Amino acid sequence: MNPLKLVIKELLYRKISSIVILFTVVVASSVSVAIYTLSKASENETRKIMREQGLNLYIFPKGTNLIDFYSINNTGTFPDKYVDVLAESKTFDAVRHLTGILQIKYPDWKDSNGSTHQIVLFGYKDEAQQKYLPEQELMGFDVKKGTVQVGALIAKNIKPEAPFIITGADGKQYNFKVDKRMEEGRGMMDQGVSFNLEDLQQVLGMQGKINKIEALGCVCKDGRIKNARKQVQAIFSDLEVTEISSIADARENQRVMMNKYGAFIIPFIIISCLLITGLLFYQNVNARKREIGLLKAMGTSSYTILFMILFKAFIFGLAGGIIGFFKGSWVAEYFGKEIFMFTALSIKPVWSIFYYIIIIFPVLLMLSSWIPALIATRIDAAKILSQE
Amino acid sequence: MMLEIVNISKRYKKGSEEFIALENVSLEIEKGDYMAVTGASGAGKSTLLYAIGGLIHPDSGEVLYKGRDIYKQKSKVTDEYRKKHVGFMFQQFHLMPYLTVLDNIRLACYEKHKLDTINNYIDKCSLTGLKNKYSSELSVGEKQRTAFIRAIISNPDILLADEPTGNLDPGNSTILMSLVEDFHKNGGTVVLVSHDPLAAKYANRIITLEKGRIVL
Repeated sequence: MNPLKLVIKELLYRKISSIVILFTVVVASSVSVAIYTLSKASENETRKIMREQGLNLYIFPKGTNLIDFYSINNTGTFPDKYVDVLAESKTFDAVRHLTGILQIKYPDWKDSNGSTHQIVLFGYKDEAQQKYLPEQELMGFDVKKGTVQVGALIAKNIKPEAPFIITGADGKQYNFKVDKRMEEGRGMMDQGVSFNLEDLQQVLGMQGKINKIEALGCVCKDGRIKNARKQVQAIFSDLEVTEISSIADARENQRVMMNKYGAFIIPFIIISCLLITGLLFYQNVNARKREIGLLKAMGTSSYTILFMILFKAFIFGLAGGIIGFFKGSWVAEYFGKEIFMFTALSIKPVWSIFYYIIIIFPVLLMLSSWIPALIATRIDAAKILSQE
Repeated sequence: MMLEIVNISKRYKKGSEEFIALENVSLEIEKGDYMAVTGASGAGKSTLLYAIGGLIHPDSGEVLYKGRDIYKQKSKVTDEYRKKHVGFMFQQFHLMPYLTVLDNIRLACYEKHKLDTINNYIDKCSLTGLKNKYSSELSVGEKQRTAFIRAIISNPDILLADEPTGNLDPGNSTILMSLVEDFHKNGGTVVLVSHDPLAAKYANRIITLEKGRIVL
């Protein structure tokens, strides 16, 4: 009889023992998958929240006094091409979502009634996709040429369907279609107008210039800001990096929490699973001493016996891993909806870990059954079979 | 000479005590022999049987099968020896509980064309209606007859039986011994360890062991 067939028949016969082993593997794999899936959801949630809060790193001309930057218009500028150079650099990977911005206070904007207001103008360069890094969803503003997005306070001063009119540095009047009227509560943006960068550069006569790059800093082992500064200054020594720490800290904390999940809970569960299944396999070998002795007496080699036990472990690992993947994904989806507001509907099975699961769990189970399998090969058939 | 046992000795240690299972035992077994091994409990009968079967490595001496020491071969060769040339029967039957009668017998089949042969043996051993039953559904006599078919289905040179009637009533013992006798009559070689005088009655050679030595 084929040894594999014999293993299957034995599994089906010893139902309780098989179910207990399978259950252990399913618990370990489903908890691992659920935690991983929830971690991913949590990461996405943070990303969404971050997106709501904005980018966390600002790159300015060196020596910029931020008080001046927000109050008066005498900050330095730099070429908007810098953004493209950074995006095309192979060594620049500590910062993502590079968005070149020209931000200028405009002290005498006249509304349709002729009243003068101080407003803030933002010109957004299209977010630069970094050439040597994987593509990511865009975070920056996307303002079409010829249009503007106006803050809530300014919107109140522009009649519906009316264009936004502004006097340029050349004394000409420029008209822009109002593409979006933003809701209030966006801080400085409430009194701001967002342009496509080229449009604003033309209005202000500042072609090719920006005074800020907003970006999202990565979390790196040797420190987020330190790494970003080092990389930026290696390319442009006339720029410096400032971090908006509250947003960055939230992101950092989130990452640290996820690392804790990854570094402690999952290994703990997997090691527990290994120990439990190892004991269950040992118990199984002990209970089957006579059967194993008989197989030896009938000429079954030690290698075949070893193979049969490892094959059994492989089946448990594979079946438990697959069941656990679906179970864990379901658990993550079910509980994730309660936990994550922004990403609730997007919590889906993480298929990329499915392939790891169907390799890792069979291998782990084979490892856990290795010692029992070796014990089985050393069973003294004569002693066992002659016992009354 | 099919099987030659030359001066084999085997000792076991139980704590600080040493126990002699076999001491300088020599014997020859020709093809077609039917040898009964008798002796008191602990005389070394089973040790001798398992040494012949390739399961107990003697401390010294040789077990020569067709002139080659089975314990000086690679483990693969010894496994093949047990698989193809030896059939075992035990007092406790040792049927696989999760296999039917048919599958228990198939366990020892190494050739695919054996189904007709299995069915013939099943009929001969009055197990026809039981071939799809599990061992837990069989009587002791049926279990031992299943174990007998399993032992001989691969047509081994030697049938090694360790107290095969030890758990059987007289009726079942007689049936089993007549089956073993049939195997012998068809050219099979039998080495049988037993306390049972009935079992020894079929043998054409009887040896008696005492404290690991052949005394008769």
